Amino acid sequence: MSIVLFRIDERLIHGQVVIGWGHQLRPDRYAVVDDDLADSAWEQDLYRLGAGTADVVFATTEDARGRLSEWRDDPLRTILLTRDVTTMGRLGAGGMLAGDRVNLGGLHHGPGRRELLTYLHLTAEDEDHLVKLAAEGVEVSAHDLPDAHRVPLETLLEG
Amino acid sequence: MSALSRRAVTSTFLRSFLVQGSWNYHTMLGTGFAWAMLPGLRRIFEGDPEGLDASVRRHLDHFNAHPYLANVALGAALRLEADGTDEQTVRRFKTAVRGPLGGLGDSLVWAAWLPTVSMAALTLWWLGLPVWLVVGLFLVVYNAGHLALRIWGFRIGLRDGRDVALTLSEARLAQLGERIKSIAALLVGVLAGVVLAGREGLSDAGPLWIVPAVVCFAAGLKIGHRAWRPAAVATVTAIALIAWWGVLL
Repeated sequence: MSIVLFRIDERLIHGQVVIGWGHQLRPDRYAVVDDDLADSAWEQDLYRLGAGTADVVFATTEDARGRLSEWRDDPLRTILLTRDVTTMGRLGAGGMLAGDRVNLGGLHHGPGRRELLTYLHLTAEDEDHLVKLAAEGVEVSAHDLPDAHRVPLETLLEG
Repeated sequence: MSALSRRAVTSTFLRSFLVQGSWNYHTMLGTGFAWAMLPGLRRIFEGDPEGLDASVRRHLDHFNAHPYLANVALGAALRLEADGTDEQTVRRFKTAVRGPLGGLGDSLVWAAWLPTVSMAALTLWWLGLPVWLVVGLFLVVYNAGHLALRIWGFRIGLRDGRDVALTLSEARLAQLGERIKSIAALLVGVLAGVVLAGREGLSDAGPLWIVPAVVCFAAGLKIGHRAWRPAAVATVTAIALIAWWGVLL
């Protein structure tokens, strides 16, 4: 059990994750799961800048599904990040993340997105993905920083 | 070479000082970013009003970064637009660069440079320098670093465009921040010594000082690494201590 955080945050590796969560969870590695970034070296170089001394690996969703168990068993502590709900939904499809806790960080406003919290805006499709994840045994909640109030999915969707 | 004139580039740089001028929760620096880009974009899209319109619109989108280091993105975006880069790449660049620029700027400026220069100013004030001189020195030194960072950032962005990551990583800004923070830590010690030495009668307190010292040391050891902005916390503590002392004695 060495994936210390699953997080959906469109900013990926940035201050809230690296300082806010990183100082508490002390990750050795950030695993960024994203089909577009997985084969874009220049973008990877930019994202790496924010990670400090931690290692950064990029993987496609398919690739990541294959490597989940490897990361879990690894003594290195991993923070796994996706920048949209769809990717996390696809990563977890079929109960791959059952028993894990998925953290919703920053998802910014945009067309077709409903504001649930100041830092959280979801499309109807996003909400479906999250409900499905929860139905498969994933504990989904909004939690931007470790010391902030954690809002479970049910409460979010009621609001 | 591109259509960028020296005048347009200078104008964009000067406008960058107001990049936070219409900060809001929806676009954050977005509006200021587009406004700063405008002189450059007008040159690049001369005689192409539709192109200009579209490019201004894409730069109006949400963008966030540290206000000083946002200049890296501004310079690079100007370079990308001048080279006729496709819209998708420009968007992806800005999306990828904002996080690191925010994080590096936070750790270098807000968590290191600002509190360290403040701490140095406080120390000088406590040593008896006149207030006007202390404030003057603070403003000159702080802004020398501030301006250097803005100019450097804008230049490397303009020069390297999409591939600015290499220059940024070679600059080792995070390590520089750590070094500045060590100076702040040293200054806390100096300031504490100066404050104590300056108060008559305190030397008689003797070993009693060991108690708060041990408590502070233990607290720092236990939770210091978890503090959001350690140097800033130390500065506030120092100011509070001095104020408290002033009231007490």
